[in-house]
Amino acid sequence: MPIKVPWLKGVFPALVTPFERGSEAVDEEAYRRLIRHALPNVDGIVTSGTTGEFPYLTREEQRRLVEIGVEEAKGKPVVAGCGASSTQEAQALARDAKEAGASAALIVTPYFLHPSDKGVYQHFYDIATRVDLPVILYNIPQVMDRYLPRTVVEDLADLPNVIGLKDSSGNLTYTMEILEYAGDRIDVFVGHDEVVLPALAGGVSGMILASAQVYPEVWQEVIRLVKAGQVEQARAKQREVQKLSRIFCRHGGGVAVKAALKMMGLDMGPPRRPLKSVGGALMHETRAEIRLELEKVGRIPIKGTAFQYPDGALAARFGDLEIGADEIAAHDLRVGSGVAGQGVNKVQIDLIAGGKETPLGDAYALQVTYPFHRREALTAILEPALTVRPSTLLLPTLAQRNLRQANMIYGPAQSALGRAIVDALETEQIPRQSVDEDVMVALVTIHPRAMDRHALAQSVHAAASEAIEQAFTPRAEGEE
Amino acid sequence: MGYKTDWFKGIFPALVTPFTPGGGVDELAYRELIRFVLPHVDGVVPCGTTGEFSYMSTKERMRAVEICLDEVAGQVPVLAGTGCTTTRETVALTAWAKDAGADGALVVAPYFLKPSFNEVYDHFRAVDEIGLPMVMYNIPQCAGTHFRWWTAEGGLLDFENAIGIKDSSGDLPFMEAMFEKVKGKVSIFVGHDEVVQPALGAGADGAILASANLIPDIWQKVYAATLEGDLTTAQDWQQKVQKLVRIVVRCGSNQACKEGLRMMGVDVGDSRHPIVPGGAFRREDREELRLQLEALDKIDKSPVTYDLGQKQVVTDLFATYQTPNTIADWTMKVGEGFAGPPFQELAHVDLLIGLADGPVGRAIERSIAEWGEERGLRVIAERPRTLVVPTVTIRTDKQRRLFEQAAEGVRLAIDLSIEDGFLPEPILDDVVLIMNVFVHPAASIARRVAFNNYKAARHAIRKAVEGRPTVEELIAEKAAARHPFRYAP
Repeated sequence: MPIKVPWLKGVFPALVTPFERGSEAVDEEAYRRLIRHALPNVDGIVTSGTTGEFPYLTREEQRRLVEIGVEEAKGKPVVAGCGASSTQEAQALARDAKEAGASAALIVTPYFLHPSDKGVYQHFYDIATRVDLPVILYNIPQVMDRYLPRTVVEDLADLPNVIGLKDSSGNLTYTMEILEYAGDRIDVFVGHDEVVLPALAGGVSGMILASAQVYPEVWQEVIRLVKAGQVEQARAKQREVQKLSRIFCRHGGGVAVKAALKMMGLDMGPPRRPLKSVGGALMHETRAEIRLELEKVGRIPIKGTAFQYPDGALAARFGDLEIGADEIAAHDLRVGSGVAGQGVNKVQIDLIAGGKETPLGDAYALQVTYPFHRREALTAILEPALTVRPSTLLLPTLAQRNLRQANMIYGPAQSALGRAIVDALETEQIPRQSVDEDVMVALVTIHPRAMDRHALAQSVHAAASEAIEQAFTPRAEGEE
Repeated sequence: MGYKTDWFKGIFPALVTPFTPGGGVDELAYRELIRFVLPHVDGVVPCGTTGEFSYMSTKERMRAVEICLDEVAGQVPVLAGTGCTTTRETVALTAWAKDAGADGALVVAPYFLKPSFNEVYDHFRAVDEIGLPMVMYNIPQCAGTHFRWWTAEGGLLDFENAIGIKDSSGDLPFMEAMFEKVKGKVSIFVGHDEVVQPALGAGADGAILASANLIPDIWQKVYAATLEGDLTTAQDWQQKVQKLVRIVVRCGSNQACKEGLRMMGVDVGDSRHPIVPGGAFRREDREELRLQLEALDKIDKSPVTYDLGQKQVVTDLFATYQTPNTIADWTMKVGEGFAGPPFQELAHVDLLIGLADGPVGRAIERSIAEWGEERGLRVIAERPRTLVVPTVTIRTDKQRRLFEQAAEGVRLAIDLSIEDGFLPEPILDDVVLIMNVFVHPAASIARRVAFNNYKAARHAIRKAVEGRPTVEELIAEKAAARHPFRYAP
């Protein structure tokens, strides 16, 4: 049961702040849309938190966000982020929030300059005793570079207006220590999406999360399962969203949340500069990963893809290289094929090997200049700067339609192919004389919806090993 | 009251320890290394951090110190690394070193478990009682402990045999506190190669350095210039070696020193596992270390034959143990280069070098004619004819601008490869190049894009010509290789 106020429990999204493109002005309409989207599955909302880019907002803007929040929240509590570096400003923000109708102020550890523990205590004390608004303390050392000291929290918990603490550190030793020393007087909220279940199990009252505007119902379900003592099911639920939660927490924060919302049809605009929508803290590769995960958890539909694995005579599969059965025979080229993996992890590799002076040498050099758009060839490597020999190109047979598909080739498939080749060098399946004389091209077919890098790499390694074995097994007399 | 000894000053290399493949100290290589550095140094340190003391058995450490004492034969002082995690072992090894004839002991702050300040202090007190001159050694980046100035001051002033401190932290405020507290009473040595000159200039008495395995003569110049009050000369030399020592200090110092020595002709093997080639000392670091050693005249040029079939060309190269005497088969050579940081500006170059009338030449002409314009292919040089292919399709002006930077980097790599002989003038009409160049769509820092592509392209040219990585390297590194994009975020 909540301790000082009845409403402080459950799931609260730390809302992003939408901005218009170009002007970077707050997009109030988008904000309303966002709240309406999240509201059915949450117990309250949080405006201008870290996810809401609070340090980039003016005092007026923060007040306006609270006003809109109160208008849209249909009576659910609105917690106003009132963090500031100076006590004076944080106090002014808290006054504004009170006037605008907020239920509480979320106040972060004072940052940038490093006040002593005494200074930190005084900061919260001043606000909690001078503004008639409940205060939630906020520990987020990842951005503040310091923890809100437990001893300070222990004393602040005595103040009537201090009702809770949000711990975004993800460090459960800290959460447990706060529960131990102040859990009888304030509600502790988890603020780190990756450790919701363990924190709930440890005794927190609720959560303020970036991801609670993307999948609040998952978190409601986790709470329900924990209360019902169904730990196994709760674990499964947390694990479903583990990677997305990790991306939100560690690989882009509010920017990543905005990217996810946009994919779900809620365009919240760009972040304010110096943050970038993509290509900064949120990398292109990570954004592609968000799409993949949203598909996986059913937040966005998976587009159907018609394709097929190459079939027919092996010698006829190298047409893209302008090599057919005649060239294979005339230049003594070696070919082999391998298939491995199940379902979306099924991989087929059709391999061709031969001398640099044959048409294969020409095909190899030509592929490095990229004749096929979206089917760019990659050199097989163990890792960057460890090119395998004989020199081998990986040529995807299907067009890579997006970065998410390219991510499966670049890295997992590329290095697994490299490893299969070096394995074969080690066993001398591929003879040493091949190292300098030959080149190889591997036509690689990967399911467009493959998404498990580990499984995919294993499939590629197995398929490539099989193809190499076929290609390099000494041909019996008279065999074609 | 003056210094407790007169010999603890100047330049001391923290010697790497060569190991035999079967285990044990490689005596012949160790002696060769000592003879290599001896003319330039004021003392030597066997079994320091660079000497991999923490990977050696007590017996091996004793053997290394014995060999060192024998080879040095009194020409310069020998400061034996005798630090261990426990006081008991440290006392025993230091007592042994005293009997063996070492001039002093370098004793690292007890590591791994993190004893408190007073426990560290008492550790050094126990070693002091042996009666061998002792240097207290602060290296928080490895030991995980930092004796604050009060621990150091207490020990250095209270212990009769404490003759000095080696500070490898690179923390100049700490060193200044040492000057304030103990200057003139004990020796204060700097142990961080990147700040040698500032430390000496500020009053340090000497330096114990990993990079003094490679360039003891240059450190001697810095030291001498500082003593003469010629700060400008000292600063110039520090700046000339700054990149080399940054690579050594930050990119796997033991292995970096060992591979550097091997390139210079002193084969001291590899570090013990878990240090591996291509690990902390990355492949691209090796290429850069080599270039730095070349720039400092530490690698000799020797003649190498380029056999183009109808044409033989002899070129003088900075050859290492991996450079073949004859480089044949120019149909098509494949090379790869990779350079960063930062992540978004990293460069990844796939290179083909081959005969103009072979597959590479034909691919250039056909691709230009058929899809060159559409895919943004560009010929950026005519001698040798070089086609640059953008790995990522260029869509924006910013990408176009940065790709131009990358092309500038590639051009510089070609120019310098012509200059240093890897692309000798007489073959420039016979061979052609395709450079497939990756510029990340989110790259911003133009200067890094250009420089990383210069590095990657230059490395790729050398690797293609020399046939690296070798099959032996591939097999050795296969298991531990880790493609950074193989894993999900």
